[in-house]
Amino acid sequence: MKAATNAGRLVSQVLTGEVWPALADRHGYRVGPDGQPFVLPGMGGVTLGVHCGDPATGYAADHLEPGASIRHADPAANMAVQFLTCVGNQVTVASGPASGHAGHVIGQHAYVLADFAEDVAATLSTGDAVTINAVGQGLRFADHPSIVLKNCAPGLLERMPGGTTQDGRLEMHVAARIPAEAIGAGVGMISEYANTDLMGAYQSLGADLSLGLESLRVGDIVAMADQDHRFGRGRRPGYLTIGVISTGQCMLFGHGPGPSTLMSGPAEAFRLVDDADANLASWYHDVDHRRESTGQ
Amino acid sequence: MNAGLAAVAVNMLGTVEHPELGDSPYRVDSDGAPYVPVGDGGLVLGLRLGDSVFAFDGDHAAPGACLTHRDEAARHALVLYSCIGNEAEVRTGAVAGARGAVLGKRGENGRVIVGFGAGDLARMRPGDEVSVRARGQGLRPAWLPAGVMVLNMDPDLLAALEVGSGTAQLAGISVRVRTMLPSPLAGNGLGRPAVGWDLDLQLGAGDDEDLRLGDLVAITDIDARYNMGYRRGWVTIGVAVHGSSPLPGHGPGITPILTGPRARLEARADGENHVGLTDALLKLQ
Repeated sequence: MKAATNAGRLVSQVLTGEVWPALADRHGYRVGPDGQPFVLPGMGGVTLGVHCGDPATGYAADHLEPGASIRHADPAANMAVQFLTCVGNQVTVASGPASGHAGHVIGQHAYVLADFAEDVAATLSTGDAVTINAVGQGLRFADHPSIVLKNCAPGLLERMPGGTTQDGRLEMHVAARIPAEAIGAGVGMISEYANTDLMGAYQSLGADLSLGLESLRVGDIVAMADQDHRFGRGRRPGYLTIGVISTGQCMLFGHGPGPSTLMSGPAEAFRLVDDADANLASWYHDVDHRRESTGQ
Repeated sequence: MNAGLAAVAVNMLGTVEHPELGDSPYRVDSDGAPYVPVGDGGLVLGLRLGDSVFAFDGDHAAPGACLTHRDEAARHALVLYSCIGNEAEVRTGAVAGARGAVLGKRGENGRVIVGFGAGDLARMRPGDEVSVRARGQGLRPAWLPAGVMVLNMDPDLLAALEVGSGTAQLAGISVRVRTMLPSPLAGNGLGRPAVGWDLDLQLGAGDDEDLRLGDLVAITDIDARYNMGYRRGWVTIGVAVHGSSPLPGHGPGITPILTGPRARLEARADGENHVGLTDALLKLQ
């Protein structure tokens, strides 16, 4: 049974933003796990060739942000964009050659990250305006009071398998389970902004760095052990946080593929089902190649 | 830096920070309750090295005066180059000329925590200028085992801790700490450079850890040579420099001073007999 929510009481707010440039400084290099200097793309601008369902790691990239990276030029308006935008929200291009094409939000990373079909993304560039139909913050389960939802569009919840089980738990399909040791940069931050970097997924680096997370894919729904993201992001044994992998390969140490937070609560309030298809690509593929004016 | 290279000292200037808050007074604690943060930076009275990190209802409160610089780049340099044990001298205000010592550093935008005698500290105010004689980054004593790195430590203070000595490289060293903690307790600070950030420990008063300001603490499977992150078989040792925090993912923070493979850097838990960084060691009495 689909989990009942207050979705009918939520309002949508129309937000604007623009594709924000990649940023660097004149010194160029940053430092990898073994002290290796690197200059690698991935953050900001429009990152091509990687979409939901594709491997999250295995690229010569740092903090790989699939698709378009979006901010608002005004600092306060930007925080509204970062806080109010939810995974699954529709993003429509409002200027430039891709004007009118729609994609969807896959997460936050101090940018709002929007995945578009590759042929659309190829025509997007820095400065292109976008319109976001933001809906989802304030979403609550009617029958799972201990689970707090974050950054989750009602439409995403509707598309995901699972729901309320006969014994009153919330069944969630997850593509991977993340051990507490993997939680890296982002711990201590608020859960409506950016994401949690997972350590232990440095493709091609030392075995002493690996926590077996090299097979994650962009868009995977994952369950993080001992993480309580109800009021920020911290450790609480016995809690569970569900997230969606919204960023990929990192070279920067203590960083890695990052889940944006979707919901958090006591582990016993969930029933997890391991499901390799628990990925945004399973539910949003159909919107990639058509223009839409409705939906989330 | 290779052993044998001469260290240089740099006089730097910091200003005692004034606390800053946003339009709302509230932060939200790990149980979802709003609270007004007290003691997060600036000049904090009433706590000293040796006090429990859980003894006060503050937020990241440190036992001394936090220094910053109004220029962002100068602030980063002040924090990066300052090391625990560095001498500090008040240049302006009611206690101009008073001596103190760096006892730790904090991350985000960066703060240097300077300890003073209690009488001097009580007469200082935000805006007072403090000079720090920064030295220690790049320190690599000849005895330091291969693969082990020392950071954020004044050379004289490192010598006083007696973790190693001599002109020959040692196969391994052993350091006495209050407690050893597993890597999942590492919180805010992961993924950030250990030369400029502290590492918060996700511990609260209910976790039954006897942890005091100035204690040496070991955290396993964390490599802090560059950014701080997970590496199996490693250990990082730091000094507890500020108290606990109600924020999720935060808690008492350590400034890392030693990091290396556990095969060559051993941490031994002293428990209740532990003595770490003290006012006496920093000549603050």
